[in-house]
Amino acid sequence: MSLAISSARGAEAAEEPLVPPAATEASLTAMIADPVLKGVAGRGWWIAIACAAPLALITIVAIGWLLGSGIGLLGNNTSVVWGVPIANYVWWIGIGNAGTLISALLLLTRQSWRSSINRFAEAMTLFAVSIAGLFPILHLGRPQYFYWLAPYPNTMTLWPQWRSALVWDFWSIISYLLFSIVFFYVGLLPDLATFRDRSKSNRGRLMYGAFALGWRGSARQWRIHNLFYTTMAGLAVPLVCSVHSIVGLDFAASLMPGWEETIFPPYFVVGAMFSGFAMVVLLAAAIRWGFRFQGILTVRHFEAMAIIILASSLIMALSYATEWFSGWYSGKAAERGEVAFAFTGSYAPLFWLQLVCNCLAPQILWWPRMRRSLPALIVVSLGILVGMWLERILIIWNTLSNGYLPSMRRLFIPTLEDGLLVIAPLGLFAMFFLIFVRFLPAISMHEMRQLLHERERS
Amino acid sequence: MSEMSRRGALKLLAGQMALLVAGCSKPREEIVPYVRMPERMVPGMPLQFATTLELGGYGRGVVCTSFEGRPIKVEGNPLHPASLGATDVFAEAAIFSLYDPDRSQSVRQSGEISNWAAFFDAMQPLLGDLAAAGDRLRLLTGPVASPTLIRQIKALRQRFPQLVWHRHDPLEDQAAREGAIMAFGRPITSLPRLADAEIVVSLDADPLGAGPRQIVNARGFAARRRARKGLDGIGRLYAVESALTLTGANADHRLALPPNEIADVAVAISRALGAGLPEGALAKDAAAFASKLARDLLAHKGRALVLAGPTLDPDVHALCHWINAQLQAPIDYLEADEAAHPSSLTELVRDCEAAKVDSLFVLGCNPVYDAPRDLGFAQAIRKVELPVHFGCYFDETAALCEWHIPQSHILESWSDLEAPDGAASLVQPLIAPLYDTRSVHEMIATLQGRLASGRDLVRETWQASALAGDFENWWRRALHDGIIAGSAGKPALSLSPQLPQLKSRGNAELTLVLRPDPSLYDGSFANNAWLQELPKPLTKEVWGNSIGIGRKDAAALGAVDGDVLRLTANGRSLDAPVRIASGHAPGVLTLTLGHGRTAAGGIGTGVGANAYLLRADASFAIRGVVATRTGENRPLPSTQKQFTLDGGAADLFPSYALDQFRALAEPSEKAQLPTFLSPPAGSGARWGMVIDTSLCIGCNACVVACQVENNSPVIGPEEIAVGRDMHWLRIDAYEIGPPENPRTGFQPVPCMHCETAPCEPVCPTGASVHDSEGLNVQVYNRCIGTRFCEANCPYKVRRFNFFGYADGQEYRGLGADVMRAHNNPDVTVRARGVMEKCTYCVQRISRARHTADKEDRLISDGEVVTACQSACPTRAINFGDLSQPEANVSALRKEPHHYTLLGHLDTKPRTTYLAQVRDINPQPDGKDG
Repeated sequence: MSLAISSARGAEAAEEPLVPPAATEASLTAMIADPVLKGVAGRGWWIAIACAAPLALITIVAIGWLLGSGIGLLGNNTSVVWGVPIANYVWWIGIGNAGTLISALLLLTRQSWRSSINRFAEAMTLFAVSIAGLFPILHLGRPQYFYWLAPYPNTMTLWPQWRSALVWDFWSIISYLLFSIVFFYVGLLPDLATFRDRSKSNRGRLMYGAFALGWRGSARQWRIHNLFYTTMAGLAVPLVCSVHSIVGLDFAASLMPGWEETIFPPYFVVGAMFSGFAMVVLLAAAIRWGFRFQGILTVRHFEAMAIIILASSLIMALSYATEWFSGWYSGKAAERGEVAFAFTGSYAPLFWLQLVCNCLAPQILWWPRMRRSLPALIVVSLGILVGMWLERILIIWNTLSNGYLPSMRRLFIPTLEDGLLVIAPLGLFAMFFLIFVRFLPAISMHEMRQLLHERERS
Repeated sequence: MSEMSRRGALKLLAGQMALLVAGCSKPREEIVPYVRMPERMVPGMPLQFATTLELGGYGRGVVCTSFEGRPIKVEGNPLHPASLGATDVFAEAAIFSLYDPDRSQSVRQSGEISNWAAFFDAMQPLLGDLAAAGDRLRLLTGPVASPTLIRQIKALRQRFPQLVWHRHDPLEDQAAREGAIMAFGRPITSLPRLADAEIVVSLDADPLGAGPRQIVNARGFAARRRARKGLDGIGRLYAVESALTLTGANADHRLALPPNEIADVAVAISRALGAGLPEGALAKDAAAFASKLARDLLAHKGRALVLAGPTLDPDVHALCHWINAQLQAPIDYLEADEAAHPSSLTELVRDCEAAKVDSLFVLGCNPVYDAPRDLGFAQAIRKVELPVHFGCYFDETAALCEWHIPQSHILESWSDLEAPDGAASLVQPLIAPLYDTRSVHEMIATLQGRLASGRDLVRETWQASALAGDFENWWRRALHDGIIAGSAGKPALSLSPQLPQLKSRGNAELTLVLRPDPSLYDGSFANNAWLQELPKPLTKEVWGNSIGIGRKDAAALGAVDGDVLRLTANGRSLDAPVRIASGHAPGVLTLTLGHGRTAAGGIGTGVGANAYLLRADASFAIRGVVATRTGENRPLPSTQKQFTLDGGAADLFPSYALDQFRALAEPSEKAQLPTFLSPPAGSGARWGMVIDTSLCIGCNACVVACQVENNSPVIGPEEIAVGRDMHWLRIDAYEIGPPENPRTGFQPVPCMHCETAPCEPVCPTGASVHDSEGLNVQVYNRCIGTRFCEANCPYKVRRFNFFGYADGQEYRGLGADVMRAHNNPDVTVRARGVMEKCTYCVQRISRARHTADKEDRLISDGEVVTACQSACPTRAINFGDLSQPEANVSALRKEPHHYTLLGHLDTKPRTTYLAQVRDINPQPDGKDG
């Protein structure tokens, strides 16, 4: 549905070019490659690194502290046995979903505007999924044995317990991460070759050359590349859906009130796309500003993403409403109590904030002016990122704090370590991203050139 | 050397490698086998010995399990009349006290470590002088019910004719004693037989609460509560009390009144029995309640009794004696042993102040902490030239004494003790003293100038006694059985209690009602971490005490839960957090004694507020208390926050009146939900548990028993405050009905061992699995700590080691080497990051299976007794094999009021419940409990 809307809007807004009218292939390439290959790192980049590096360091310290002292450092308790790491995991996986989704789904549906955002969105996926993958391990009581989820040959001849959603999770994260790396790399190959050719230093030529795997840009190579890349995109879409569906099943394959819901898998996929696009908006705004990419990251791009966000927000609102309705319609006291607890219980202020961020605030995007206003879009996106984190933590807190037996109803009291694990990985993510934009083309040069080519042909 | 084949070379190489690997690790400790194996000892097999533990001076017989010389578990002794095979929390927790690293380990002089020889040297000339010096030597003990100790003190008095023996019991019910003197002319002890009473009226008494008679009373109460198919009637319990007690919580009808109005209820009953007393000033509904219960009492003459509690005045006690006489109540009256009732603490303090005391021996009591402050004992003891303290801890009193002499723990001592009914039993040591300590008998013997072993001293007592025939056989029998056959108190005959003249009672004021702490009792258990962390039965609070207050009084003060109140009484004040409690009478505050120790040890010091501070005398109700808010708010950590069953949760704890129960249909097989799953495979036993919630009085004995049996660690107040706990078995308390005067229900919740356990399919490593006998077992080695099992457990019975609670990150000093000795070797000590839970005491099942296999038979019904089941004084917990149709549990599952917790989830729990059945008085009246 969202795609249909965006496609229609894309046609309508066709008057605005996706590439600068005066652009040539050479100027486009230079525009993207030169800041990386010729420019020295600007002050902005160093300031950003200075902000991100301490947080990245804190992440490492926090993880060390957690591994050393035990997960008692977190606020988890006997009733609310899950907490911040799980919410973080779902949130980061959600962020990680959007990159591949944008890349693959928009490629398959021939959304030409994707060319300026797919590269850094894919990079975002890689970093987000890597960070996401840490949390299920950190949340373990005995993280040193996380590999017991894998069916490795061992003297005990024990295998994982295949009925557990956590085992499915293990596989879905690993396969998604591996797939994302390959997909990213394959898309990057022609650009690595461009960098090899344009690099002035020997080291640059050597490094980019090695990673370019001998790309020469022959017609045969392009044919194979296109075929392979499109095929991977075809594989990516079900994979993206499966990853977050399985994350949804972590909750849905249980019998706790508020979790035991068939809507969870699709609703988690949409939620992932929702928060992923919000993050892409923020990163796109940052890159556009940092590299002065106004010409290739146009307001039209942002408007297209705003429409997807708006559509996702509506789906989210519908999912929430469905959840409440089915809770009520089930007639079960526990389910009804769960809905009532969400609205009126101890975490209700957070829940209302979640609804404002995820359902109410994005509604301003019905106005074209708001869709085209970067500040408005950034505020909405930030709100969505907060709102979606709240959604994930509240799914855990509300259900586990308000279980079947009134005697075991306990609240979650967050600790310092919880706070560190929420905030600090953002710095790690920013670190990864800043390093990425310094060494690799943040926008796909060959796809931009192709866009130009298509324009000239038409 | 012949040529070596390739195979041979490889063999040699492998052999070398193996040697090399073996040689790398040094054994961490030497293991030396016995040269001569002690008799009866089989490595790996525990031994059991009968002994007796003390509470409030009285004995409760126990059977103690010893593993290779280490006592590890206490269980009830079925032959002992004060144990009846069950225990209470204090008996269960005795093991902790034995290994408590804070126990006093050496003689001290003026606080400095000294030795026994120095102490003897200091004593020799002094005791010689004292023989001539008249009454300047004093002995202060706690309550004494040890025949040997009484004999020794008598002998000591022969040596020092002027010696004065004083006795101090902070929890002594002086009103009861004076009331008995008022009624009978002498201090008769009355012991109610609840089993024989159809109607019991408790007037602020707490027969089911903590105390030396708790087990006996609970068993008697339970005898009239066992609601089963085709039953005629059960007993009916009325409670009129100032604040909720365990007795009130288990009552069928309950009325909350301040203590001075409770007296009027007694008057109303006596008037119905024909006493010509002037009518009290009862409110209308209270008067209706009183007349209703009076009619019920009259209708059950011979099978009805009235109990008076310690907050009531002596004249009310006397009146209750008169009422019981009219009712021909089932009460055993015993002549009190006046030898055990020497001078009081008050006289000692008076004499100290008058400088009449040179030497004072304080034996096993702690008056500096627990004597009423108005007495001024702490000031008085400073005037004594040579105060000597003898006790297990270097406590508040020891700190003010010249000498402190370490006492052996009762599990290290020889002694003897009498139960409240006078039945005597021997105390035998399970282990040689861990430190250089002596038993109280050895200590007294030194005062007599003898160096005798405790065993000889106890044998001397009984050799002289008429009970002994062929002494050696008799002795062995007494030790083996844990009870001295034929010993009993002296019954008081032909009693005719007088109708007392009642004093006029003051007006209603804010009254503070003091109660013994359900976990710490008088405070002597304050350093016992198992008891500190034991959720209090009604509030579920741990690590501290709170002021209980009714809703109206709290609203008047503007106080909310956790607000710190300053209570001022008798010129002293005390700060403690408040807890708004149900079932409080207006104008009544409650606080438990036993907290706020200043020198209890690493665990108990500084925990809670010391209510003894406010006491002017030994009474349990302090009138005219002033309460003000301090502005601070620090609620106590607790393990249960919500006590109400909201909306759809009501079916978690069904409660039936007797006639509703009779109308219940038998459970049918059709009630089972349809399923596609085939019935669980597996042959042999199908273990199951049925818990009767009518019988559970909430006493907590099972909770501690489980903790001791299964090596559950203590985690400390900070962890509990976060919402963590490690008890495998918890007792959920629910308040049903109007919040002013709700009915309370107790529901012990161990693991349900669901046949379709929700924890099993979600575990990614298969650490949560079913065994062939239907146990849901947790494989600790395989657990990586995802906690998905607990997230998916609807009963929330799993417990997680967030830290290494038993594995390197112990609370305070609990990681000390000596503490490790208490662990049950049959149960794994769990590591950090591992999930654990109730196993149905699988180690006991295994032991029974081994025994049965060796004898080539099936395990018989009742052969496996879980730790919780064994502790339960009311026998509310039943365990057995559901595959045996004649097993007790199978029969209980066919009872009409049998139900499963959250049955609609189709988890098919093996632990199931019998609903609560109450005997509600059918007479219509406006108010009922």
